Amino acid sequence: MLAGTIWQRELVEFAQRRSALVIKLAFPLVFGVPLVIAAPPVYAAVTLTMLIAIIGALGAGAVLTRERQSGLTLRYRTLPVTPGRLLIERLSTNAVIDLLQLTSVLVLIALRHPSQATWWPALVLSTVGVLLIGNLMGAVASTLSDSPGEVMLYVFIVLLPLLFLSGVFTALTEPALLAVSRLLPFSYLHESLVGALGGQPNLLAWETLLGGFGFLVGAAGLTGRLGQRVLEAD
Amino acid sequence: MKADTASEPSPLIATGLTRAYRGGKGVFDITLQLAAGEVMGLMGPNGSGKTTLLRMLATAATPTAGQVSWFGNANPHDPSVRRRLGVMLDQPAHFDKMTGYQNAWFFAHQFGLARDRLDELFRWCGLWDARDQLVVEYSLGMKRKLNLVEALVHRPSILLLDEPTLALDYRAELDLIERLQLLSLTGTAVVLATNDVHLAERLCDYVIFLHDGRLIREGHVPELLTEVAGSKEVELQMNSPINLESLRALAGVEAANVEGDTVHIILSRGANPAQVLAVLNGTADLVSNMRVRRPHLGDVFLKLTGVALPAVHR
Repeated sequence: MLAGTIWQRELVEFAQRRSALVIKLAFPLVFGVPLVIAAPPVYAAVTLTMLIAIIGALGAGAVLTRERQSGLTLRYRTLPVTPGRLLIERLSTNAVIDLLQLTSVLVLIALRHPSQATWWPALVLSTVGVLLIGNLMGAVASTLSDSPGEVMLYVFIVLLPLLFLSGVFTALTEPALLAVSRLLPFSYLHESLVGALGGQPNLLAWETLLGGFGFLVGAAGLTGRLGQRVLEAD
Repeated sequence: MKADTASEPSPLIATGLTRAYRGGKGVFDITLQLAAGEVMGLMGPNGSGKTTLLRMLATAATPTAGQVSWFGNANPHDPSVRRRLGVMLDQPAHFDKMTGYQNAWFFAHQFGLARDRLDELFRWCGLWDARDQLVVEYSLGMKRKLNLVEALVHRPSILLLDEPTLALDYRAELDLIERLQLLSLTGTAVVLATNDVHLAERLCDYVIFLHDGRLIREGHVPELLTEVAGSKEVELQMNSPINLESLRALAGVEAANVEGDTVHIILSRGANPAQVLAVLNGTADLVSNMRVRRPHLGDVFLKLTGVALPAVHR
C-alpha cells in the first residue's frame, strides 16, 4: 500500500503495525465496558473524559518526540508543504485514528442508552474536539523535551488542572469557576458523556453540540497557526 | 564562483549567514553564491559548521542572522522554494516501519511524483530488489542510497548533499560521481558538505573551507591547490606519540598535525622528506609506516589552520 499524502501515510503505518493496532483498539474497551455497563453515569463520565483526553494527548507527543530525535522532523522542514498544513494533516489524522480507537466505547454507550440519542452528535463532536486539542497539547509538549516520558509528564502537568477547572472531578458551583469551565473543551465532553450515559448534565444537548463544534474549529485553526512553532522549533 | 549569465536570479545566495548555538558554537557570517551548474564543496573538520550551514541552505534550520535567497526568493517556508531543492541531510531519517519504496513514494509525492523516475532511481542505486523491505532492516549504506533517491527524484535545481558518499560502496560512489557530473552539466547547482578531499577535487568547481564556524578560505579548486603546489605531504603512521614541536621547528616544514595515529607534515618545495626521519633520530622505530604523496585540498586546509581534515575511510 503506497501513501502519497501525510494523512495516508499515518493510516498506512497505523494499519501495518498489527499488534499495536489490536492493543490500541482493545485498550479503551478494558475501561469502557465496566464503566458503561455498571458504573453510575457521573463516575463513568469522569473516567471516560480523562481517558479520551489522555488518548489524544499522549500519542502525537510521543511520536513527534521520536521523530525529532531520529531527524525526521528536519526532513519535514525540507518538504514543499507549509508547516501549518503538515501539522493539521498529521494531528487531524491522529485524532481520527484515536476516534476509531474509541468508536467501540461510543457504540457501547449508544447501545446501552438508546433513549439518549439527542446527545450522540454532541458526544461525537466534543470527543473529536478534545482529541484534536489533546494531540495539539502533545505536539507542543514534544518541542520541550527529547524524551517521550518527559513529554507525558508535561502533558499531565497541564492536563490535570485543566480537567479540574472543567468541572470533571467536582461539580462547580462558583460562578467564576463555572465560567472558566465553559472556556475549556473538556467540560463539553464531560457534559455530553453525562447526557449520553443517562445522567443529569448541566447543559442542554444543543449547547454542548455548539461548544464541541466551536472547540473543534478553534483547535483546527490553532493547529495551523502553531505548525511552524511545533515542527520548526530548534 | 561561476558568473551567472542567464536572466534567472542566482540559484543560491547567502549573505551574512549566522546560526549561533549556546556555548559559542555555530556558523558565523557566511556569504556565498552559487551559480547554475556549479558544484560547491563545504569542507572542514567535524564541528566546523558544515552541517549547520548546509541545513540553513536547505531550509531545515533557521539562521539567527543573515539570509539565504533561492532563485531570488528569500522565504524558506515557500513551497515553491523547497520544490526546487533536493536535500540529503546527515541523518538518514525514514519511517522505519514502512518499506523503502513506501518511504520514497511518500517523499517523492510531496514534490509531484513521476513513478517511472522513482523506479529508474531505485534500479540505478541498486535498491530495486530491497524495495519492499522495511527500512528498519536496511543497512546504513542502503538508507543513504534511499536518501539519495529521495533527493534526486523530483529533478531539483539545487542539490544539497551532506557527506553523500558516506557508507556507500565503491561502485555506488562512482555512480554517484558520474550522475552529479551529469547533473552539473545540465545546470543543476550542487552543494556538497564533505571531508573527502578526493571527491571534492574530482567534483567541485569551488570550495569553501570552514573552521570553528567561520569561512577561512574559498576559491576554485586549482587556485587553492596552487597554495601547496610543489610541496609534499609526508604521512607518518606512529606506534606511539612523538613531539610535534620538534617537527614543526624543522626548516621546510610548513605545517604538522596529528590525526589518530597519523602525523601529517606539509613540506615546502624542495624540502627533503628524509629530514623528517632525521629528527626522529633514536625514535624512528616508532614509525610503523611512512608515505610521501602529492598534496591535496586537505593539505591546503592543514597549511591554513594547522588542523588535519578527518580521513575518509573506504
